[in-house]
Amino acid sequence: MKTTIDATVIGGTSIHYKTGNWREFRPVFISRIAPCREACPAGIDIQGFLWEARYQRFDQAWKIIMEENPFPSICGRVCGHPCENACNRKEFDEPVSIHAIERFIGDYGLINRLNLPVYRTDLNKRVAIIGSGPTGLSCAYHLRRLGYEVKVFERSTKAGGMLRWGIPEYRLPETILEQEIEKLGNIGIEIETSVSLGKEFLSQGLKEFEAIFMALGSQRNRKMGISGEDLLGVQSGLYFLRQVKEKRNLHLGEKVTVVGGGNTAIDVARTALRLGSKPIILYRRTQEEMPAVVEEIEEAIKEGVRIEFLTSPVSILKKNEKGFRLECVKNCLGEPGPDGRRRPVPVEGSNFFIETDIVLTAIGETIETDHLLQSLDRTDSGIVVDEWKSTNTLGIFAGGDVTDGPRTVSHAIGSGKRAALAIDAYLRELDYDHLRSFLLGKKGSLSMAQRLNPIPQNHRNDQVVSFEDLNDYCFDHKPMKKMPQISNFTRRMNSFDEVNLGFSERMVLEEAERCFRCGMCSFCENCYIFCPDSAVIKKDEQKLVEIDYEFCKGCGICAHECSSHFIEMTKEKK
Amino acid sequence: MAVALAVKSCKPGVISSYPISPQTHIVEYLAKMVASGELKSEYVLADSEFSAASIIYGASAAGVRSYTASSSQGLLLMTEVIYNAAGTRLPMVFTGVNRAISAPISIQVDHQDTFSLRDSGLIQFYVENAQEAYDAHIQGFRIAEDPEILLPTMVCMDGWVLTHGYEPVELIDQEVIDAFLSPYTPIHYLDPENPLTFGSYAEDDILMELKYMIQAAMDQAKKKIIEIASDFHRITGHSGLRLIEAYRTEGAEVILMGMGSMAGTVKEAVDRMRNDGIAVGLIKVCCYRPFPSEAILQACKETQAVAVLDRGFSMGSEGPLSLDVKAALSNLKTPYIFSFIAGLAGREVTIKTIQEITLTVRKAIDSGQILRGSQWVDLNRSLL
Amino acid sequence: MISDTGEQELFASGHRACPGCGEAIATRWILKATGRNVIIVSPTGCLETFTSPYMFSPWRVPWLHPLFENGAAVASGIEAALRHKGREDIKVIVIGGDGATFDIGLGGLSGMFERGHSIVYICYDNEAYMNTGNQRCSSTPLFASTTTEPATRFSPGKSRPKKDMPSIALAHGIDYVATTSVSFPKDLFNKVKRALSIKGPSYIQVHTPCTGGWNFPPEKTIEVGRLAVDSGLVPLFEIEKGNLVSVMKIKKKVPVMDYLKVQKRFSHLFIEDLGKEELAIIQAIADQNIERYGLSNQEEN
Repeated sequence: MKTTIDATVIGGTSIHYKTGNWREFRPVFISRIAPCREACPAGIDIQGFLWEARYQRFDQAWKIIMEENPFPSICGRVCGHPCENACNRKEFDEPVSIHAIERFIGDYGLINRLNLPVYRTDLNKRVAIIGSGPTGLSCAYHLRRLGYEVKVFERSTKAGGMLRWGIPEYRLPETILEQEIEKLGNIGIEIETSVSLGKEFLSQGLKEFEAIFMALGSQRNRKMGISGEDLLGVQSGLYFLRQVKEKRNLHLGEKVTVVGGGNTAIDVARTALRLGSKPIILYRRTQEEMPAVVEEIEEAIKEGVRIEFLTSPVSILKKNEKGFRLECVKNCLGEPGPDGRRRPVPVEGSNFFIETDIVLTAIGETIETDHLLQSLDRTDSGIVVDEWKSTNTLGIFAGGDVTDGPRTVSHAIGSGKRAALAIDAYLRELDYDHLRSFLLGKKGSLSMAQRLNPIPQNHRNDQVVSFEDLNDYCFDHKPMKKMPQISNFTRRMNSFDEVNLGFSERMVLEEAERCFRCGMCSFCENCYIFCPDSAVIKKDEQKLVEIDYEFCKGCGICAHECSSHFIEMTKEKK
Repeated sequence: MAVALAVKSCKPGVISSYPISPQTHIVEYLAKMVASGELKSEYVLADSEFSAASIIYGASAAGVRSYTASSSQGLLLMTEVIYNAAGTRLPMVFTGVNRAISAPISIQVDHQDTFSLRDSGLIQFYVENAQEAYDAHIQGFRIAEDPEILLPTMVCMDGWVLTHGYEPVELIDQEVIDAFLSPYTPIHYLDPENPLTFGSYAEDDILMELKYMIQAAMDQAKKKIIEIASDFHRITGHSGLRLIEAYRTEGAEVILMGMGSMAGTVKEAVDRMRNDGIAVGLIKVCCYRPFPSEAILQACKETQAVAVLDRGFSMGSEGPLSLDVKAALSNLKTPYIFSFIAGLAGREVTIKTIQEITLTVRKAIDSGQILRGSQWVDLNRSLL
Repeated sequence: MISDTGEQELFASGHRACPGCGEAIATRWILKATGRNVIIVSPTGCLETFTSPYMFSPWRVPWLHPLFENGAAVASGIEAALRHKGREDIKVIVIGGDGATFDIGLGGLSGMFERGHSIVYICYDNEAYMNTGNQRCSSTPLFASTTTEPATRFSPGKSRPKKDMPSIALAHGIDYVATTSVSFPKDLFNKVKRALSIKGPSYIQVHTPCTGGWNFPPEKTIEVGRLAVDSGLVPLFEIEKGNLVSVMKIKKKVPVMDYLKVQKRFSHLFIEDLGKEELAIIQAIADQNIERYGLSNQEEN
């Protein structure tokens, strides 16, 4: 450039001096795992669908959920939302109401009859699934999407398993369940009901099917181990719920005593209320330890269910023609047991009696073993399976409540997916080890999206983002939106109408905005705003920014200020 | 007043001012002209001379003709800006009203203040009388703004003697001046339509070249000043600037040299001495920077002695003008060059003084005792 | 969010600022506020040096570097020239360092304020003569260590309080005086915009942490600036026509210690108990600011 006599310089010529040469570290965008996604047993890409929901792209949000979980309308109603419990926003003010948004998106999909296509249709391999509960149906869904032909066998007259028979109408309306199951039919999943398969099928079935997945569930009521529990009128809570669903005429009597602290116990009590009774729940530990979904417990108390904490039944005596006298004892909490939970220890001399018309037990279930192949390994907790859901018999897999593990709907769905991926690996004769690359974090959830559209390793990091990793300065406090409910208490208590009414669209848009987008770009633009070298370039509102490596000096401000821990400074290779 | 009228007719866009004797009344006249609407300029009252110079530096960088005036201490304060302006090649016009420099403080005339600016890249003219002052300012704007020059320009005029006297001055009509001096069209200026960066720092790989360009412009200026002066003469009828004025130097044995108003006194002394048969003449240096070495060489090569009268001094060396003259004539065997220091802080330079100087020089030549160094004239030895 | 996708950055890449330089970030945002129709003057300082090596200029607007002490005076001349040309639509701003503003250029700045030129004078305050290597300036805060007033066994660093430049500006009766910080660029942007709309002189002081001079890792520039504001030591306010019209309430109050201990220029205050008194004095200054400007956020309490 020729020198001007007065040493003036044309503006903007500094771009000929590439300050990128100064760099020792370079900022790189690396997606990490959000704690919500790690915690979700179904492995849903939660930030993904919240992002789409925030911009009213509900179709897209629905697709993202459906990639991992076929039943958002169900989970959005009945799941205990471990995602919310793990949400980083909880450390800031309150978690994002992920649960309610999932429900909205699921219902949107049902209303608009959205469908997800299968991945391929040319595999010509058949898999049999025994049991049409959430585990079986999830496995069926994922296998079908991967291209396999799937047939589901169901013992009952209708499909759904625990979803249909174990969850009351006011939590999960049957119409919603029907529509969710119908979706599977739309992609070619065959469900045969009223067929009971036993040992014979298990020994011969592999001639007709390439693999069998056992998703039998566990319906046998666990015994309390006290005298009088075999008396007539001392019933299984689960069976009671089924009877209600089957619309049998039930006569409960006013005083109903429910034993247990899980979701079943709560469901039984709240159902009994609606049938006109005054139920009491006996639970051997405290409210904090109750395994039921927290909101369910709170709703039960709000509706008038009396809960006797730290109380265990000791014996049941028949009293007159109908009715019982229940002897109970008060507990205190002692040392933790092998599962880490503090053991209830009866307090000497604290015995007392309860008069009751009926006793309903809901302290857990065990599996039925009569139909099982003798050779299959099993324990009290369930059929024995390895990490990848294989039983000791090649080609036979098992998952869900029939195996050991947490017994929730989302775990069931996750279990079904894990089995589907394992069966897929088995049928393609691949090593199970490669399935590890689909893991999200350390809690065992798997990503189907990673199976179908893998992100290369150098753009991924398996770290889970913690709250300390975030730069929360740019966030403003905003409370979580609360679920609207039936306002008329009388109507609520005298019917099985769904209590939770669901979020409105506006509530969804506002609530989805609260997501911090841990481990993904949250478009906060801090990197762009704070770059001293104008080396972060905005393409447009929706796309990621780009780093101009010709000029980036590697100062690290972008990584430090990134609100969602999406940028990492990596050593520059010379 | 004449100066103020000259400046007014050149229509500067920005004038800055700061009071210091004896230039203040120039800017006062201008203030009145602006306030009464006669002159449409922005008149900015600076908080110091440094700011005054900076203000017109900024105005010039923004592409507007600008002007200020100062003296003595004020000129020293402006020094940094004047160097800066020369280096950035920004034209602006100054009136340097010559006055002695502290300490001790004095408001009387000598050339020490403008001498101290001689290295800066500033073009300097020294005028003998009010008419020359008037004419020089008008030409000064055109010289400074010439695209081949683009340097700050100062018209130096002796304080009190020229600024506070009454002399007849022939003014030029505005239309005639307009014909000679068109509006300033800068090559580079601060303009959002064409963003330029002024005042970069230069490394050793380019700095010498940029400085050389200033000297090259100074060399070019010598030619251009003559051209512009002749254009001035053609359009206005007034005589234009000269680099030097030679007065009765034909056949002179001794040539006296000086700048500023004392040249008038020297001319009279020369006339008297010529009448007495002494072959003496005067070269009045009109343009001190760029220094007219070739013209002086031409004018002095036949004479025997040159007596340079300096109205200032380079402490530790000799009179500044004499140093420049010695440099110009250094390759000649003759003439002999004598340096005299006279008239500091307003001490009068009389005809008698000039005659004595001439005598001293002639004696020295005759005796062969060439006086080295600068001779301080009219010193009161009893005070030393 | 300020959206300007597709618009060219007026402060181009390729300038030679230290990695993580607070001034560079501030200048980018000042230029977003001014737009193209502006003339900028920068006196000698960090900004001038890193943006004007010959032949490489990031300034996509007209820019002039005169000398060290005359930023305001030169800008005055430009403003007068533009008025003469009838181009008062072109805004004139000065972006100068604390050395040029608080010390050597104070006279010229005072003249500019007093004469009432429509110029926005923005001082980027990194609290020392940083271009020459962290020498003490009147803007250096109490007890900071600099090379010319270092902390030693016998002295705790700067012994005189920081010169209150905004008050000096205010004393000239100008219509707009504001303080802001590079860590709050939206605030900076808005205040520059406001100043540009005011007729007459404005003064904006931008607190710009300096990774080299204050001695902290470069990625923390913005964090350090935030801590300064959230401790109360750097109050952000706007004064229009002599009245306090806005303050930035502290979002997450921190004790001054949190701000000071990240910077090595204050490390001498944390050697055992030696700096206890000095820390208390600094905390008192912060508390006074919170009181005087009403900085505490009621919600927090």
